[in-house]
Amino acid sequence: MPFEIPFVQIVWWAMTACAIGGAIGVVSSNNLFHSALFLVLSLFGVAGYYVLLSAGFLAVVQLMVYIGAIVILVLFAIMFSRRMMKPTEDEMNRQWLVSVIVAAALFSWLIVVVNSVSWPVTSAAPTADTVLQLGLAFLGSYLIPFLVVGVLLSAALIGAIFLAREKVEAEEI
Amino acid sequence: MPIDYLPILIMLLVAIVMAVVSLAMPHMLGPKIFNKAKQETIESGKLNYGDARRRVPVQYYMVAMLFILFDVEVLFLYPYAVLFWDLKWFGLVQAGIFVLLLVESYVYVWKKGVLNWE
Amino acid sequence: MDALRLLTPEITITIFAFAIISLDIAWNDENKSRRILPWLAFAGGLATLLMIFYIWPHVDQYNYTAATDAGREVPMLAVDRMSLFFKMIAVLTVILVGLSAGEYVEKHTPFRGEFYGLMLLAGLSIMLLVSSTNLIMIYLALEFLSITSYILTGFLRRDARSIEAALKYFLYGALASGVMLYGFSLLYGATGSVDLATIAGSLETTQAGLVVAAVILMLAGFGFKIALVPFHQWSPDAYEGAPTPITAFLSVGPKAAGLAVLIRVMVVALPAFDVNWTPILSLVAIFTMSVGNLVALWQTNMKRMLAYSSIAQAGYMLVGLAAWSAAPPSAVAYLGGVDAIMLFLLAYMFTNLGVFAIAIILENQMGTSEIADYAGLIRRSPYLSVALLIFFLSLVGIPPTSGFIGKLFVFGAAVNQGLYVLALFGVFNSVISVAYYFGVLRNVFFEKGSDESPIRVGVAMNTVVTITVVMTLLIALYGQPFIQLAADSAQILAANF
Repeated sequence: MPFEIPFVQIVWWAMTACAIGGAIGVVSSNNLFHSALFLVLSLFGVAGYYVLLSAGFLAVVQLMVYIGAIVILVLFAIMFSRRMMKPTEDEMNRQWLVSVIVAAALFSWLIVVVNSVSWPVTSAAPTADTVLQLGLAFLGSYLIPFLVVGVLLSAALIGAIFLAREKVEAEEI
Repeated sequence: MPIDYLPILIMLLVAIVMAVVSLAMPHMLGPKIFNKAKQETIESGKLNYGDARRRVPVQYYMVAMLFILFDVEVLFLYPYAVLFWDLKWFGLVQAGIFVLLLVESYVYVWKKGVLNWE
Repeated sequence: MDALRLLTPEITITIFAFAIISLDIAWNDENKSRRILPWLAFAGGLATLLMIFYIWPHVDQYNYTAATDAGREVPMLAVDRMSLFFKMIAVLTVILVGLSAGEYVEKHTPFRGEFYGLMLLAGLSIMLLVSSTNLIMIYLALEFLSITSYILTGFLRRDARSIEAALKYFLYGALASGVMLYGFSLLYGATGSVDLATIAGSLETTQAGLVVAAVILMLAGFGFKIALVPFHQWSPDAYEGAPTPITAFLSVGPKAAGLAVLIRVMVVALPAFDVNWTPILSLVAIFTMSVGNLVALWQTNMKRMLAYSSIAQAGYMLVGLAAWSAAPPSAVAYLGGVDAIMLFLLAYMFTNLGVFAIAIILENQMGTSEIADYAGLIRRSPYLSVALLIFFLSLVGIPPTSGFIGKLFVFGAAVNQGLYVLALFGVFNSVISVAYYFGVLRNVFFEKGSDESPIRVGVAMNTVVTITVVMTLLIALYGQPFIQLAADSAQILAANF
């Protein structure tokens, strides 16, 4: 398809604008609620990258888990809390100048580094059935990490519920 | 291929256009008359009372957290489900261990009374 | 040995952790049998330790474990002597902290099942981290360790300081992981692999700038766990707010894990690479030692002082790694600095856990951990006072204590490689550290306290203090087996090249 390359590039730029613009919005907005909405935009841009990289499953995961669950939880938490809805938080603190200098230095250094490297590019076509390959990896080479994820999720769940439980025991200080 | 996602992109654009247009059109075309009855929040015919931002029981957040964690679990199991017949007993045992680990935390949540609503 | 048997320590500790949580669910709050939960954790630690010793003789080479997948095998965990050594450190830490936590936990929280279960799981995460040979496995194990640490730090849910500590730890940790992941992505992008050995094989010399960037970014993640300057800001607050047994755990477990993974990445992924790491590592080591020691001088709270002291101690350990990196490339199998780190860590573990055991005993009795309240301890408990003296001698590095042997080897390795300035900084810092350690001892031995009642020491605490005192002295007085152990553990890693 002759128009494919520029078209993909247009989408790439649009997604980049979403991802970076959203991220800038998150940190520069002084209303926490707006920050969370910008976060949706940023995460959506990243989901778009996954699509462009032929990782459809990851894109769906990104939309379902990050946008569909985590940011929604964040939004509800913000809306339920009285103080968080009032846009009074100052987005700057005393250390903003130092932060800007460090961030700018790190950024320009990384730009130089990334530009100086000839990144290897594979000529192989992307895998067609990513979910199948992912399943093979989970239960093949990555079996140990797969099971560790199970333990990790279980520990995280127990810990999160433990910390958030409302019921206070009599012995607790 | 990314190009396979073209329909989704088109749908996305349609959705954005729909949203913008349906918000912008009434704003531009509709007459602007404000009165007390019109400004009132609509809640399915029920009358308003109090502030919406009361203290919300922590149970809401608990359920939301449970949802996120089990959501992630399902996403890890989904690729296995595609391979269910190919992997035979080996896959079943490994996925079984994975599920069993999470059943432990589910039983924890259950027995500790987190799912009980007063 | 097959994969499953090589992983028996990990499997054992997981089974015990889940057994504790299951029993905690099964027994309701009034059930008297809940009292065995701490002992079950202790038994789990011992069983895991036995499993480590059981597979120890069988591991004489670099062993990869991974499920076979039609020739696409990707190594995940390396069960070698080095990882077994660090696993031993992790399990010993869990056992000693678990033993000394008993009374404290009973006093502060009814949630014993969660506490011991999560602590065993934190031990498991360290064991996984120290054998990871794959960027994905490293990240997963590191996050696992972080999440269990955050929960344990905030374990006293009704104590605002504990929650604040957990929150600070969490926010800092999330940022550090993000920066580290960016470093991982640079390595993956340059080589197309997440396996450390493959990365080592496919890096080209033109990519030197990239590798330096990746290592510095990864250092944020590993340095956060080790609490290296400038990634240390979380540690004083987290150490002060966390339940004291967890502070003890944090001061040894994650530090050992971070060091192990740093060593493995440096030694396996970037060995013959034409970058001189010595200036970077030396600079970080000098800053870590100096900041830790200088700020410790001003502390009035024991837990905060120990936080800065353990930052400084991590700096000494890094001197060993700097010494390793200074060896000429031809001697790539040289691991002189690495065995010094291991010996130092072994000594540090017993010493620091001993100090914390005393801090826990006194906190149980007095309810505070202010240094001023240590006044007159000699009259209240001569045994604890003398034990504290021995531990502090060891932390400073004065013979006849294990800390001396550790520092001798670490600074010796630096001198061997001609890093005289670094060694001098180390010695100079040890001298500074005398001031604050002996400030506490002056309180203990020469000041008069308001309270003269004797300190009551339980059986478990007594055991911990005795074990740590004996080991602190034994490693110095009868050091040969321990030196040999550290050398073996390091050399096995080198045999791979």
